[in-house]
Amino acid sequence: MNEDNINSFQRSSLWHDAFRRLRRRKFAMVCFWIVAGYFALAVFVYIAESIDPTMSAINWKEQLGQGMEYQRPSLCSVKTIFGTNFLGQSTLISTLYGVKTALAVAFAASVISIMIGVPLGAAAGYFGGVVDDIVVWIYSTLSNIPWIILVMAFAVVLNDDKIMGGKLSGEPGVYLAIGLTSWVGICRLIRGEIIKRKESEYVLAAKAVGCSNSRIIFRHLLPNVFHIIIINFSLRFVSFIHMEVIISFLGLGDANKPSWGKMISAASSELTRGIWWEMTAATMAIFVLSLALNIFGDALRDCLDPKLRMER
Amino acid sequence: MITNDWHRRLILLILILPTIHTGCRKDPADEKGMVLRQALLSKPQTLDSGNMSDVYSMMVGGDIYEPLYTYHYLKRPYELIPLSADGMPEVSEDHLTYTIKIKKGILFQDDPCFRGSKGREVTVHDYIFAFKRMANIKFINVNWSGWQNKIVGLDDFHEYTRQFKDEYSVDYSKEVDGLLALDDHTIQIKMVKPYPQFISALADICLSPVAQEAVNYYKDEINSHPVGTGPYRLNKWHKGSYLIVVRNNNWRGEKYPTEGEPGDAEEGLLDDAGRELPFVDAVYWTIFKQQQPAWLSFQKGLLDSKSIPKDNFKEAITSETGLSEEMRERNIRLVKFVDPSVFWIGFNMKDKVLGNNLPLRKAISLAIDRERFIDIFFNGHHVAAHGFIAPGRDSYDPEINKCGYSRYDPEQAKLLIKEAELICGDSIAPLKLNMPGSGTFFTQYGQFLQRSFEDVGLTLKVDYMDLPTYMEQTAKGKSQLFASSASAVSPDSLDVLGMFATKNFAPGSNLFFYSNSEFDKLYEEGEVMFPSDQRNELYRKMERMVMEDYPAVFLNHRVSYVLYHDWNRNVKPHAFSFGLTKYRKIDVEKRNKYKDLLRSIR
Repeated sequence: MNEDNINSFQRSSLWHDAFRRLRRRKFAMVCFWIVAGYFALAVFVYIAESIDPTMSAINWKEQLGQGMEYQRPSLCSVKTIFGTNFLGQSTLISTLYGVKTALAVAFAASVISIMIGVPLGAAAGYFGGVVDDIVVWIYSTLSNIPWIILVMAFAVVLNDDKIMGGKLSGEPGVYLAIGLTSWVGICRLIRGEIIKRKESEYVLAAKAVGCSNSRIIFRHLLPNVFHIIIINFSLRFVSFIHMEVIISFLGLGDANKPSWGKMISAASSELTRGIWWEMTAATMAIFVLSLALNIFGDALRDCLDPKLRMER
Repeated sequence: MITNDWHRRLILLILILPTIHTGCRKDPADEKGMVLRQALLSKPQTLDSGNMSDVYSMMVGGDIYEPLYTYHYLKRPYELIPLSADGMPEVSEDHLTYTIKIKKGILFQDDPCFRGSKGREVTVHDYIFAFKRMANIKFINVNWSGWQNKIVGLDDFHEYTRQFKDEYSVDYSKEVDGLLALDDHTIQIKMVKPYPQFISALADICLSPVAQEAVNYYKDEINSHPVGTGPYRLNKWHKGSYLIVVRNNNWRGEKYPTEGEPGDAEEGLLDDAGRELPFVDAVYWTIFKQQQPAWLSFQKGLLDSKSIPKDNFKEAITSETGLSEEMRERNIRLVKFVDPSVFWIGFNMKDKVLGNNLPLRKAISLAIDRERFIDIFFNGHHVAAHGFIAPGRDSYDPEINKCGYSRYDPEQAKLLIKEAELICGDSIAPLKLNMPGSGTFFTQYGQFLQRSFEDVGLTLKVDYMDLPTYMEQTAKGKSQLFASSASAVSPDSLDVLGMFATKNFAPGSNLFFYSNSEFDKLYEEGEVMFPSDQRNELYRKMERMVMEDYPAVFLNHRVSYVLYHDWNRNVKPHAFSFGLTKYRKIDVEKRNKYKDLLRSIR
């Protein structure tokens, strides 16, 4: 083996290799850019809103004028491309604002569920014994309750609750409800991986040189299962978006801001009078994002999971 | 091997059985006999007559209970007639003593709470018990506030019950001076002062006879075990899903009215004159939380009648009064009537920001475009409210629209807000409105109000909550602004005027905590006045007095549009009575042919 080969081998880490493989998959990359576009839009809405909520491009409250209620989609102006709602507000802007709501909730809920699930799973897998029993008992109990019912129950309870003087109603209530109820899957996965790896040579070596338990978990074990967290994050993200839509549809979300669930809920009764554009705009936005995330998530898993990689 | 096979079959059978059971649940339309199928858009809060206040409970309870009086089904103007009373009361010259006879032979429905499960005869003691129970302080009663300081000794009884541990340990044998049983079928009621609305108040379901045995037997469960004397009894209540009421075989019996108003005979409303009631054997109430499933069920013929949801209005009605071609093809009929009701945005007058700031309250009123509100939410078919006494009531003021209380003038509102800020000493802080629901209607309603407030430079936060939380917060004076409405229970407007009397502060009907000593004085006067032009003038004066203070933004009065299939007979809208099912009739043969009609249309 010459020096170049050795250097190339050294550079070809798990992540480097995965991204190289991912770049080769054209369709997955298209999906990646679609997802990135959604995220960019969400970030733009978030920043624009914090600078000037009345900025025309994101002002979903703006009424397009008297007599503009329930206008069909038209190309007269950008704002009427998806028509208007019962108050004459642009459906396009509501849909774009919905991107921010959905992604913010899904992102925050994913982070919460990872923050709970990963340490609990790692502790249960690494220490075993009573710690493992307690964690397994908690997640077994939680997983026996249908998820949607659990999320709804949390959303209702959190809706009027105050934490440290701040009220939880609205978006924080929704992502807390989803995050607090959805850590079981990642916890179970991490626990299994840690059990598998805790007797590995590199862990035994770390123990032999006197590393503390927390150092072994956080510096040695978790970095080696990080790709699993990423895969799980990307795949769960879609279901969190769907859950946000369901929660808003049921009237448990933030009633004061646009969301896709609220748009679908309003449209469900308006459909009978031929007002289809609100429903169409919201469902199309969900469909494109879900499809892109699913395809990209699958590709990411294929590239990151060593087993799947070797089979190809 | 055979055993294993048997095990498998047995397991399969156990798994399939529940499915078969569910699948075989009888469609009410397939029941033999005449079944009326109605929709409820919310679950009834209670079927305990003593504590009924919501319209959905009364819609069901009205068929199970019978108070002393009711309104004639057909005659207009509305006329009070005896129901379980035997004739109208004898009233003393000073209007302080009412002697009422009750019909003999009225039986409670058969129920396990009675000896041998056989319903016993009703006596006046059951009516007295209903009064005393309402006054029982341990029986948290929503209807009590209206009866304070009305009947001699009843307020003392109210205080007397305070000493007891709970509702059921109260000793009801303590006499109330104003409630005397002259014999088993004659009751004498003595009033503290004349109460001209007393007979119409006796038409309220909450004063139907109550069997003490039933209360002691069911205790808190009486909410779902009504024991009444009406034409129907509860057969099944699947909470949140449906209720079935069936004929009460112990009912005293009654005949269909032989008189009505001009035009009733031509409408066929007197075709059954003098016939024995009730016609319908059972009523199937389905609870629909959403309008659309109810609307589709009606169109499929699974409901006999249905009010028109706002989103389906254009589908059903094509012109001001006409039915669409689609509805006509299905032989659907329309009844339209002015419902004496009023919708409003209430201000909590105890609130620091709103209570002492008339310009702010007035500005909010000027900021709301009522016509647009009605166009958006009621397809332009409700009537803008210029006051709070609805058209159709005795003292409605046809001139009130000239006062400009419901004017839409955002520019004037902005000027008033500047005035309001001077009073506050700062800019107006965001206001908070409590909304009694979180469905699409409520969120859109909230959005509409937010936009209206924003247009004049105010910020409104809307808190969407469930009905019990909303009611609790509003009754405790914790709501700053609140969206609400009221429907009339009698042609007399004293009930809506009472919403502004100091003595009716919440948990009574004054949810605004509005207090005006001059108004209170006039209210005291009005309370003892009998119907007359003079009283109508007084009521109108009181209404304007309240309107000048803007304790609320009155938005609209409802105009009801109800559709019904042509197999329904004897349908006449009624603004004040419940328990009208006994008059309804179904042409079952016609209903059974509806599926063929639908097929032929397609």
